[in-house]
This record gives sequence, structure tokens and C-alpha cells, in this order.
Amino acid sequence: MATVTAPLPGVQSHEENKLRISDYLKWSVDHKIIGVQYMVTSLIFFVIGGALVMLVRWELLTPALDLVQDGTQFNQLFTMHATVMIFLWIIPMFAGFGNYLIPLMLGAKDMAFPWLNALAFWMIPPAGILMLLGYFAGQAEAGWTSYPPLSTLFSPGDGQTMWAIAIHVLGLSSILGALNFIVTIRNMRAEGMGYFQMPLFVWGILATSLIIVMATPFLAGGLTLLILDRVAGTAFFNPAQGGDVLLWQNVFWFYSHPAVYIMVMPGFGILSEVLSAHSRKSIFGYRAIALSSLAIALLGFTVWAHHMFTSLMPSLRIPFMLTSMIIAVPTGIKIFSWIGTIWGGKIRLTSAMLFGLGFLSMFVIGGISGVMVAAVPFDLHVHDTYFVVSHFHFVLYGGSVLAIYAGVYHWYPKITGYMMDERLGKIHFWITYIAFFFTFFPMHMLGMLGMPRRVAVYAPEFQSLNAIVSISAFVLGLSTFIFLYNLVYSLYKKRIAGPNPWRVLTLEWATDSPPPAHNFHGDPVFFKNPYGFGTEAAYRYLEEQEKELGPSYPYTMEPEKRSVVTAPASTGD
Amino acid sequence: MTDASMEHIEAHAAHDAHAAAKHEAQRIDNLKFGMWVFLASEVVLFTVLIATFLAWRVVNSELVHEVHEATGIWLVSLNTFLLLASSFAMVMGLREIQKGNRGGLMKWIGLTALLGAVFVGLQAVEYSILASHGVTIYSSEFGMRFYAPTAMHGAHVIVGVIWALYIVNKTRRGSYSSQNYIGIEIFGLYWHFVDVVWIILFTVIYLL
Ligand SMILES: [Cu+2]
Repeated sequence: MATVTAPLPGVQSHEENKLRISDYLKWSVDHKIIGVQYMVTSLIFFVIGGALVMLVRWELLTPALDLVQDGTQFNQLFTMHATVMIFLWIIPMFAGFGNYLIPLMLGAKDMAFPWLNALAFWMIPPAGILMLLGYFAGQAEAGWTSYPPLSTLFSPGDGQTMWAIAIHVLGLSSILGALNFIVTIRNMRAEGMGYFQMPLFVWGILATSLIIVMATPFLAGGLTLLILDRVAGTAFFNPAQGGDVLLWQNVFWFYSHPAVYIMVMPGFGILSEVLSAHSRKSIFGYRAIALSSLAIALLGFTVWAHHMFTSLMPSLRIPFMLTSMIIAVPTGIKIFSWIGTIWGGKIRLTSAMLFGLGFLSMFVIGGISGVMVAAVPFDLHVHDTYFVVSHFHFVLYGGSVLAIYAGVYHWYPKITGYMMDERLGKIHFWITYIAFFFTFFPMHMLGMLGMPRRVAVYAPEFQSLNAIVSISAFVLGLSTFIFLYNLVYSLYKKRIAGPNPWRVLTLEWATDSPPPAHNFHGDPVFFKNPYGFGTEAAYRYLEEQEKELGPSYPYTMEPEKRSVVTAPASTGD
Repeated sequence: MTDASMEHIEAHAAHDAHAAAKHEAQRIDNLKFGMWVFLASEVVLFTVLIATFLAWRVVNSELVHEVHEATGIWLVSLNTFLLLASSFAMVMGLREIQKGNRGGLMKWIGLTALLGAVFVGLQAVEYSILASHGVTIYSSEFGMRFYAPTAMHGAHVIVGVIWALYIVNKTRRGSYSSQNYIGIEIFGLYWHFVDVVWIILFTVIYLL
């Protein structure tokens, strides 16, 4: 295994690796600090985006207009909710995971371009603040899709322009970050590590980064024209003066459908790691999962017009319906691979695993409703109704957010050096899971019954379902605070994790928790099959690792037992 | 000191040198590959702007011909020639530093910057001629679709000129050598890209 400079004593929390809060508030080129900066920033925006949607649900408790003064205010609320959640929470949160984990998983000291990495992060807070400051200049109100002429002729506030500029900056940040991931993964892998020996999370980030680099510039181009329309008086999207409204829809969805995969593929990666580690089983169909990510990345560019079934030339509907259904195939392959992975495994229902299983169950529902809306006749019926709202929340909350939770419970010990409180974690899971279901499942029915999305006032017959949705949403919102409390509480509780509390074979666990400045002591030696649980070689690898790096949780909690070095039962298999 | 320990030290030094060389090779590869990925995303950005022009151009060809007859093609042809010449100067600069000639590098990259700056200046002249014919960014269907991509390209040229001047300044202070010219190569990739984009814009807007 790795060459270690000095044998480490038994119980150690590596206080020398601990960073102070002030270290996270300044410019740093260390990928681990940048990773945490991304995550904490995104969590703050998660709370802001969540608060906004609580107001939306408050308004929708009753059919009449009560909380907000007019429709414009309501438009501003859901516009900011969506934009904050997409561009300032899910995308940068996954970038945070990527930043923290990719160099560790590859056995590298840092990213390929550390300085560029820091630059990409520091573009986010000013852009986010600029977007929120739009409140004082007439907040953006055209929805996150920002269709003209709604976003041009009918959005008088300067907030709409600030919104567009902020998205532009966030897009550039995410392109620079993705570029860095691609180069890092291609060039910085540990000596001898082939592409098919990389952990699947790395594959997820690779596929995501390829999409970002090729798709985000489309949004940048479209936003450039949109900003020109708003500021320079051009008429790219105004048919009255020789423009074309469909141009925006085409350009926007050519970015934004692939962006759905930007928001969920890193979650796929997290899920592969978590399911395998907590069921002590090798990944079923490693190559299928890895290559289907690339297939999704490619096919994702062929389906954009399924968002435009109602505005498109009818003859183009069928081809886009077909491609949209075909893209469900690689996603289905992944689902079956994951089920195959946990099948017959020694499942340990840790918080991370619970959220992983929660993802699996909810994402399947989101995937099925996705195939339903891909069918033209059905889509024409539910277009712009709550059915669509339900579908993408099953994908983005049931998928991405639950995956983020799973990832946090799984890697928190590595990042902080302490275990998270499992009891609070399980309470968090069950409340979130149930409240999530009752928030979003009834929306399917609301949509089929014909309740349009993006309205503050609705027909009285929808009230009972809306009340269920709103009350569940409040519970869901509150359940988030259990998680946030746990994050802080576990820091003070100080249950020392040790290097490898889950006994995982990937490289990020083959070093201290938190890792030292340049990640590893000496050159790390990777285990050839990162998911080879249960083999004799894996058992010896973990035993060797423990000898060099010291014990991990739960053994760190009982130092007296360490005098006798025996093979711990939970090691290996 | 015994022979054995001398050997040990030498082996150690050789190992360090080997590691340093490997590190340097990786740095160069990172930069080159990173630049290619960045340019790939730039291609997409320009595709949107050019496609916006093309989609409209197909159905409005007479209008375009009117505009072209009013302005003529000589100025923009000269400009295209200048930009191509600047790419040539770039290549010559790279060749000089590969031979270890810093003076030559400064001369040629300086010329690259000068030609780029003249290009931007002549573009401004062309803009004002067009404006005097009533073709402004908000006055006509042709105008907005013409100014958006060409101005975006112009902004890229300006960035390139600043970059070239930065290289000249760094060379003056003794950076770059026949062993270390990756900075010039990266700039070269960018500059050739800007050049190619212009060739496409020139073809699409003026020649079609
Ligand atoms: Cu889509």
C-alpha cells in the first residue's frame, strides 16, 4: 500500500489538519477548501430558495389572493425560487462534491488548475447577490425559463436584466469549473489508474462536465441576445421588428434539457458510491453505468424540443417524442444496475443508505412521469399544469436533493473528521421522505385535473389537494432544519471518524480525515477494483490501510480495545 | 563520504529531476488540453450567434445585398488580410522563441498585437460607415444580427491584443526560453481560433 512517512498512533483526530472558519472565508486554491466553500455557499442559497417556496405554498393554501398583493409578486417568488434552487443550490452543490472528491478519488494532490478553480468559485457569491439585489430594482418575474416577450417587453424591472447577467456569470463559472474537471480526470489519475478503474462518481462528474462545456455556451449565447434586447434596444426576440420568439425557446432548451442531466448525473455518481459501500457489494454492471452516463450526455442534446410540443411545427413532434423516450433507456440501465447492486447485499441502513434508497424509489416515479410527458398526446393535455411541476420535482428533489443528502451523510466524516449523528439522520430521512411524497405526489392529480402552474389564484375545487400539498411542504421545509442542525451538532459532538469509517475501497478514504494539505502521505496506491467488497484482496487492503492510518469509527470510540490488533468483523466484506 | 552514499544521493537527485520533468510535462499537457476544451465551448457560443444570422439570412437575401452594395467589401477584405497576417506573425514569434531568440519573439508578438489593434480600429471605421447608411444595432433587422456576432468577435480580438502585450512585457523581463514557451503556444491556440472565427464570419456575412 501507500508509503507512509511515519506510523500514526492509534486514536488520533488529526487536529493539525483542522482548519479555522476564517480559512474558508478567504481566497484559497486548495480544492478541499474550495469544495467546502461551494457546499456551504450552496446550503445558504438552499435555505433562501426554500424560504421563497414556503411563501409560494402559503399563497396557494387558499384559492384567493391573500399573501401576495398581485400576480407579479407571485411571479417573482416562483421565478426566484426556481433560479436559486437550480443555479445556486443544486449545480454548485454538486460542483462542491466534485471539487472535494475528484482529486482525492484520483489520488491527485489537487485539481489541474487550482487558481482557475478558486476563480470559478468566487464568481458565484457576487452573481447570487446581484440576482437577489434585483429585488430593489423590480425583481425578475418571467419564470426561470425567461421566455420572451414575457422577459423582454413585459418585464419592465431592471431586476430582470440583473437576473440575466447573474445567470451569465454563473454559466461562465460553471464552464470554467467543468473544464477543470475534464482536464483533471484526463491527466491527473494516479499512476496506472485506467478510466474503467475510476470510481463511478468520477464518471458522473466527467459526463456532467462534458455536458456543461458543450451546452452552457448555448445559454450564454441566448442570454447575450436577451440582454441586448433589454439594454441595447435590439429585437432578436420581437417578431414585430423582425425577431423570432421561438429562437429563444430553441436555444434555451438546447441548453436546459441537458442541464437536467447536469443537475442529476453527479447524483447518479453519488448513488453508485453509497449503494455499493453500504450494501457491501460490488457494483453490478460497472461499465454499463459508466458508459450509460456518456450515452445520456450525448442523447441529451437530441430531445430539447419536447418542451415545445405546443409551440413547435406539428411534424416535428413525433421525432422528438421518440428521442425523448429513447433517452429513458440508458437511465433504466442505471436503475437496474443499482437494484442489482443492492440485491442480496448486506444492507446497512445508515442515513446515507436510506437517502440512497429514497432516491432510487422516488427517481423511478420521476422517470416514469417523464416518459408519460414525453408522449405527445399526453403532454398536450398536461402541458404547463402541475403534472409537469410534479414530474421535475420528483427528478430534482426526489433525485438530486436526496442524492445530495446521501452524499453529505456519506462524506461528512471524511470532510470534517467526525461522524454525523445517525439518529438525527434517520429522523431527518423519514420526515423528509414522507413529507416529500405528500408534497409532490398530489400534484400529479392537480395537473391531470387541469390546474395550471404559475398561478396565484385557482379554481376552488382544487383547494383540498392544494392544502395537502402546502401543509406537507411546510413539514418538508422544517425537516431541512434537522439536517442543518445535525451538520453543526455533529461538529461539536466530536465522534471521531478515523480515516475510513465505512470501510470503503476508493482512494478518498485512504488518507486521514480530514486529509492533509496535499491529500496523501506519499504516493497513494489504489485498489484495482474500487467496488471489490468481500474479496480476500479487499480484506487485506483494508487491514493494511488500518495499520498505516490508524483505526476508524466505531473503534476510535473505544481506545482500550486497540491494544489487541485483531481482524475487525466489519472490515472487508 | 563513501561511494555508496554518493550513489544514493545521485540516485535521489535523478529521481527528483525525473519527477520534476514529469510534473512539467503534465503542466504543459494540462494547459494545452484545457485550452482546447475552452475553445470547444467558445465554438458553441459563436455557433448560436452565427446561426441567428444565418437563419434570418436565408430568407432575406436581397436586403443583405443592398447593405453590401452600400458599404463595399474592400475595407473588410483588407481587414481579413491583416488578421491573417497577424496569425502568421504569431507563428513566427513561436518559431523564434523555440530557437531561444527572445528579441525575435518580442518583435513578432508585438506585430501580432499591432495588427490586431489595427483590425479593431478598422472595424470601428466600418461600423461608423454602416451607421451613416442607417444600419445600427437597433435600427434594422440586418443590423442587430450583424453587430452581435462581429462585436463579440471584436471583443475576443481585444482580449487577444491585451494578452499579446502581456506576453511582450513578460518577455522583456526575461520570461520564456527555448525550453519554456508553453505560454506562447497557448496564446497561439487562442489567436488562431479568433482568426478562424473571423474567416467563418467573413464568409457567412460578406461572401455568401
Ligand atoms: Cu427536457
